[in-house]
Amino acid sequence: MSATPMLDIDNLVIRYRAGLFAPRLKPAVNGASFRLVRGETLGIVGESGSGKTSLLRAVLRLLPVESGAIRLDGEDWLALKGDALRRARQKIGVVSQNPFLSLSPRLTIAEIVAEPMLAQGERQGPAMREKIAGLLADCGLPADFLDRRARELSGGQAQRVAIARALSLEPGLMILDEPTSALDVSVQAQILNLLADLKESRGLSMLFVTHNLKVVAHISDTLLVMRRGDVVEFGRTEEVIRAPAEAYTRELLSFGRR
Amino acid sequence: MPLIDIRDLSVSIPTPDGDVHAVRSVSLEIERGEIHGVIGESGCGKTMTGMAVLGLVPKGARITAERFHFDGEDLREKAQSLRGRHIGLISQDPAAALNPVLSIARQMDDVIRAHRDLPRKARRAEAASLLAATGLPDPERVLKSYPHQLSGGMQQRVVIAQALATGADFLIADEPTTALDVSVGAQVLALLRRLVAERGLTVLMITHDMDVIAEACDRATVLYAGRSVETGPVEAVLNRPGHPYTRALLAALPDAAPHGARLAAIEGSIPPPRSAIAGCAFAPRCPQAMPVCAAEPPPERVRGTHRWLCHLPEDAA
Ligand SMILES: Nc1ncnc2c1ncn2[C@@H]1O[C@H](COP(=O)(O)OP(=O)(O)OP(=O)(O)O)[C@@H](O)[C@H]1O
Ligand SMILES: Nc1ncnc2c1ncn2[C@@H]1O[C@H](COP(=O)(O)OP(=O)(O)O)[C@@H](O)[C@H]1O
Ligand code: SF4
Ligand SMILES: [Mg+2]
Ligand SMILES: [Mg+2]
Repeated sequence: MSATPMLDIDNLVIRYRAGLFAPRLKPAVNGASFRLVRGETLGIVGESGSGKTSLLRAVLRLLPVESGAIRLDGEDWLALKGDALRRARQKIGVVSQNPFLSLSPRLTIAEIVAEPMLAQGERQGPAMREKIAGLLADCGLPADFLDRRARELSGGQAQRVAIARALSLEPGLMILDEPTSALDVSVQAQILNLLADLKESRGLSMLFVTHNLKVVAHISDTLLVMRRGDVVEFGRTEEVIRAPAEAYTRELLSFGRR
Repeated sequence: MPLIDIRDLSVSIPTPDGDVHAVRSVSLEIERGEIHGVIGESGCGKTMTGMAVLGLVPKGARITAERFHFDGEDLREKAQSLRGRHIGLISQDPAAALNPVLSIARQMDDVIRAHRDLPRKARRAEAASLLAATGLPDPERVLKSYPHQLSGGMQQRVVIAQALATGADFLIADEPTTALDVSVGAQVLALLRRLVAERGLTVLMITHDMDVIAEACDRATVLYAGRSVETGPVEAVLNRPGHPYTRALLAALPDAAPHGARLAAIEGSIPPPRSAIAGCAFAPRCPQAMPVCAAEPPPERVRGTHRWLCHLPEDAA
């Protein structure tokens, strides 16, 4: 691949700090290496505590890294500090599992989607409102949602609003942590279709974390399986699914309907 | 005689904005020794059906039914006394079901003491043996632990052990694996299957996950808008579904489409729980709806023990 990858991670180690006199903890992520090609989706699966969220938090620079390198869009991402870091973070949009927890119930949808833009110093006004209406439309919500409140939304609608907000600063990379796990299969299908459309229309790159291998196998180009902090499998999705190297991956694949 | 025999159950909850029809018409027959799955989208009435069997409906709720029987006894009169003695609950959130400030030993003992007249030492031995029966590797260590020291999978096994301690032979498991990992969830389902085989338990398994139905259940009933719309052996319901709603749920799953292809999302949403429904509740979303569908209640289609409600002729399914 000649183009710069969206994300290039080399031998990343993340370790939480124990108490002052407590013994050192095991690393939450133990030497992860992988890359995310621009415009592609990388799926990350693994059991609870395997290090998925820690990995995402490190990519967001919300967690210190013990060693290793992260290059985002060609830049040495760990070297950025202060204002430069804050500005560069705009390249990343974030969507989390529980749409309701991440949206303040009393704010209107317009206020919620405006939040990141206002935080970056953009001016409130008709132009912003028009942009928000456009984002909502891209996420399958009609303009009359602008003045509704988050507490009146269904789970699927709330997740659409969260996606619209994540897109508001026009990020190149989207980080999604269990974005459909709290939703019914009928709504999950709508959200997965929406993400596929956005990937296509905006050329988004995505990091998609979930427990559900079948969900991530469907939409990802490459697949990474984590277990207890280790990357146990990484490759093109079709290949991992066709010939899983790990018993753990096979177990996940064989659960349920055949 | 089936252990659970429910015919045309409805549960309505009065609220300031009008009655919520949480359950409109559910029929359910569960044989002894069977794991019976109940599936449907969120808000379809799965939990409320389970709560009605447990006698735990909200205050003021109205229950009507043509038949509402557990082991031949009318649940409208007996649910309170059957709960805990014959009917146990395993809920979605094991952490919430356990008291965070009491040791597991104390919480197991409370349950055993309430149901069995045994001396202290025998109760402790019983607690350890019940925990061992749920596959917990070191029951003595678990007994000394507090809930936060156990993983979600271990907590769920403790909750199952508590249900067994009551002597209940019918368990209602409401999304028992939703809060767990796929692999831990699979272990809990395998445990329930083993307990059914070894102890002759019967289980009502509430879930919105078709994979859980496939993995654990013998028969399944599909709920839509508070109505049971299809019931049958799991193999038939999943592989030869009769009802268009069941077909739509299965088609929406990510592994139903080729890699990367668009998924068959079901447009629209379930009808509001306060609305009146004349014909088939699925009509506004059904790709095969006909004029008669919105007007008249659909007839029952029968293929052996596989039954569903639909205006489409049986051979169209
Ligand atoms: N704030 C923290 N302090 C100490 N250890 C932590 C902290 N947060 C996470 N850990 C530990 O780091 C490891 C990885 O956790 P992480 O949250 O990344 O897992 P995950 O794969 O996202 O799990 P889940 O599927 O449950 O969300 C676990 O062992 C966890 O207990
Ligand atoms: N205590 C309650 N008061 C009013 N409405 C309720 C109450 N509990 C549940 N409902 C409503 O009853 C319907 C069925 O709910 P529930 O049985 O919890 O569905 P499920 O378990 O299938 O998601 C929903 O519309 C829900 O909002
Ligand atoms: S009765 Fe009509 S609307 Fe209802 S499921 Fe059957 S075909 Fe569809
Ligand atoms: Mg996580
Ligand atoms: Mg429920």
